[in-house]
Amino acid sequence: MEEQNQHGAGDHRTLLIVDDDEFNRAILDNLFAPYYTIQEAENGRQGLEAILAGPDAFSAVLLDVVMPEMDGLQVLQQLREKGLLQKLPVFLITAEARDEVMREAYRLGVMDVISKPVVPYVVLRRVQSVVELFEARRRLSNTVEIQQSELMRRARQIAELNMGMLEALSTAIEFRDGESGEHVQRIHHITKMLLTDTRLGQGISEAEIELIATASIMHDVGKIAIPDAILNKPGKLTPEEYEIMKTHTIRGAEMLERIHQLRENEAYPYAYDIARHHHERWDGRGYPDGLKGEEISIWAQVVSLADVYDALSCKRVYKKAFDRQTVLEMIRTGQCGVFNPALLEAFFAVEPRLHRLYETQKED
Amino acid sequence: MDSARRQRLMDAGLDVPAALERFMNNETLLEKFLAKFPADPNHDRLAAAIAAGDQEGALTAAHTMKGVCGNLSMTALFDLLTRQVAAFRAGDWDGAVAMMPELDRLYDGLCTAIAK
Repeated sequence: MEEQNQHGAGDHRTLLIVDDDEFNRAILDNLFAPYYTIQEAENGRQGLEAILAGPDAFSAVLLDVVMPEMDGLQVLQQLREKGLLQKLPVFLITAEARDEVMREAYRLGVMDVISKPVVPYVVLRRVQSVVELFEARRRLSNTVEIQQSELMRRARQIAELNMGMLEALSTAIEFRDGESGEHVQRIHHITKMLLTDTRLGQGISEAEIELIATASIMHDVGKIAIPDAILNKPGKLTPEEYEIMKTHTIRGAEMLERIHQLRENEAYPYAYDIARHHHERWDGRGYPDGLKGEEISIWAQVVSLADVYDALSCKRVYKKAFDRQTVLEMIRTGQCGVFNPALLEAFFAVEPRLHRLYETQKED
Repeated sequence: MDSARRQRLMDAGLDVPAALERFMNNETLLEKFLAKFPADPNHDRLAAAIAAGDQEGALTAAHTMKGVCGNLSMTALFDLLTRQVAAFRAGDWDGAVAMMPELDRLYDGLCTAIAK
């Protein structure tokens, strides 16, 4: 299939012979006819016109030097100016193999200079070798393209696998939490939607948003370090227990920092920031660092709101699910901490769409 | 090509095996171009240019004739014309003209051998 394409593409098996002397043309014609379709031109101008009409049609050009209308060196000059000498090998066939002619021809980019009268096995071999080289080069660039797209496919596969592993890890941690694994999926969607469909994502590229959404699913990895007794305690946590619970932010960031392969991942800076700061609040009363206002990155802010919204909307081990009106009211009035007004505005604008994530679930 | 003709051509200074090789052993094509040789105008042009003292014309004719002789492997005449072209280029008019008797002799011998 590939083989067919390579030969089919352009059908590079025509040789152009440009010589004003019929005798010379006949000799070269006779010599190359078994290997190529031969096209002849009687002077430089005719030859140049034939080439310009379709450079891809020719495997090579055999060019005389001394010709009426336009000589061989002028033809070379024109081909050089049009950048055709890179893909079309041109041979000067000349009785004038004088130093100045050769020097000029090579300067212009001729492939080879062959002297007349030609010695058949020499001219045949020299031309064939170069034509084969050019054909191999064309095939190679074709192959390189194919390999490149294969590499791209593999890179995508690896990226998907990475994503799968991260999801698996986050989901496993969530299971311990008594959740179904859908929480991280919803955080991913909400984060992506808030950044893509509102002003919050201004100045952040689509690729970066994808990385942030990926990073968001790891926001709670630090919970793996929290004892079951605290993580799954049905009632209210004691102040001491709550202090331990709060360390899941720092522990999460530390864990991510220790995973060498993750540190090299483009999503790492976001994942680290989000894990550590998704409990910070706009008024500086969050944890662990008590960051305030713009000190908190927009992605950490987005994930913190997504996390609150999702937690309130669903049943948790320590609480029942609140209805939508209650959820929105609690967020608006800052009962789960104070959020950036711009963030809230964007959130309420897309919330009707976010809400559908939960409607379909309840039906199940 | 029978052996007698082959020998006559060889004797006249035409390297038959080399010529045939250039024509990829296409004897018909070689004969076709041999037949054209006596009618080639360049020998007459060369003689006329020398008679007229036309240096440019003489060089062009000698050069073209040299090309034809080369293709037909007329070794002796080709070598002589190569020397003559070099002489014309070097500005050695007298030296180039002095080669004419030998040149005519070789030329006539070839034409005769081809015609037979």
